[in-house]
Amino acid sequence: MSSPEELDLGLGLLDHQLGDSEGRRCGNVDDLELEGLSEGSPRVAAILVGPPVWRGRGRLGRLASRVARGQTVRIPWEEVDRIDSAVHLKKTAPELRLGRGDDRARRWVEWIPGS
Amino acid sequence: MKKILQIALGILAAIGGFVDIGDLVFNVEAGAKFGYQLLWVVVVGVVGIIVYSEMCGRVAAVSKRPVFDAIRERLGFGVGLGALISSEIVNLMTLAAEVGGLALVLQLLSGLPYRVLILVGIAGLAAVIWIAPFDWIERIFGYGGLALLVFAVGAVKLHPDWGSVSHGFVPHVSGSDQLVYAYFAVGLLGAAMTPYEVYFYSSGAVEEGWTPKDIGLNRANAMIGYGLGGFLSFALMITAGALFLPLGIEPELIGTVALGAQVPLGEIGLLLALVGILFAVGGAAIDTCFSGAYNLAQFFGWEWGKYRRPSGAPRFTLAWVGLLVLALLVIMSGIDPVLLTEYAVIFSVVALPLTYVPILLVANDRAYMGRYVNGRLANAFGLLYLLVILAVAVSAIPLMILTNQGQG
Repeated sequence: MSSPEELDLGLGLLDHQLGDSEGRRCGNVDDLELEGLSEGSPRVAAILVGPPVWRGRGRLGRLASRVARGQTVRIPWEEVDRIDSAVHLKKTAPELRLGRGDDRARRWVEWIPGS
Repeated sequence: MKKILQIALGILAAIGGFVDIGDLVFNVEAGAKFGYQLLWVVVVGVVGIIVYSEMCGRVAAVSKRPVFDAIRERLGFGVGLGALISSEIVNLMTLAAEVGGLALVLQLLSGLPYRVLILVGIAGLAAVIWIAPFDWIERIFGYGGLALLVFAVGAVKLHPDWGSVSHGFVPHVSGSDQLVYAYFAVGLLGAAMTPYEVYFYSSGAVEEGWTPKDIGLNRANAMIGYGLGGFLSFALMITAGALFLPLGIEPELIGTVALGAQVPLGEIGLLLALVGILFAVGGAAIDTCFSGAYNLAQFFGWEWGKYRRPSGAPRFTLAWVGLLVLALLVIMSGIDPVLLTEYAVIFSVVALPLTYVPILLVANDRAYMGRYVNGRLANAFGLLYLLVILAVAVSAIPLMILTNQGQG
């Protein structure tokens, strides 16, 4: 992002990669939680991640949401460190309950020699 | 000096890695059917893949974002998921076709049963991916694929009518069989501009940690690597045009392709051709397999990368293992790899805009690219090719049906 004051939420934030404080890829920005819409001063309250959120993301999203397992993870906006082409977070993925799918899959992969 | 050597080695690997089973099938069939008339389409396709590879390589170097990140960001979750599903289907079809081609070549070399060699091929590929580092894989298969240059020697030795060859580079419409001609034109474009090449190229650029400093390297790689790779396509088509067309042979087997080198050059020609095809389709199998895993991981935001240990990107690892297993099941069903290749190329053409439109949009986004946004030249070519892509995407399936897959 060239100027931090100006961020297009649709193009510059939604669907972007999330990276934790150690540079690990841990999901995408699946949706945003906005607040203050009725007061006329909207702000992003949180980033939402996880299959249940896909329900609001088009017809295929609704279908995928029904098929995939997993919970919604809510990342309060205060946990965002900086935004470039990805969204970098202040804490590690486990602290934020992100990347759990990879952690589960690791147990399977580690079973193979040479992994 | 070391840097120049490094670039040269990378380019050599890119040349050898350009040709896959789609190029083999469509170039040779087009040559056997229309002689040298469709050479110009290969030029159009090669310039197209250069334009879009350069763009997505630049995006990767500047923003560290590979193609499927851009696809999801620009198309949103719903449409992006559609793009993901279609690309995974095409990737799987292509992977299965490459594995089938690999097994057919192994069969010609060893005489063992086809289905046993499918298993051998899959096991070999899995072992190479598991053990060898990324750049080694690129190099091994890229250099091996250079054996395909035997077709260039073969093409010259067959003494084609160079006047007709040069005429083939001038865009023109065929006097007869115009629909079949159009079908092969679409297939050749699809084979040259296969989307898995840009998925793989851009993800590789992120894996290798390119920065804006590598933009020159990116340009050289794309232009020279793909440009000279296109040279192999010419050689295949000219060989087929000089050898198969006069004899009325319609090459429907991978072994027939290798004949193009055996007739002018004897046993050694045959051997080199088979080795070249082996490495070309083997390398392409790995590229497609990885592309499938890259796309899935990037769409869902998982950790990915071959540069990590397999356990460092576990779902990515499970994804490529799963794709290999699925490809094994598909090709074990007994489906003809050449037929499967044609379907894969034609279907990939239909989905081309879903890949190339987001690349063009992102490469023009100043918030994303800063001062490295597309210049006028890149945009002029990008837009021109967008029109070409849209035209072929719309006409691919109707042409396939109308021409009975090019049978006329």
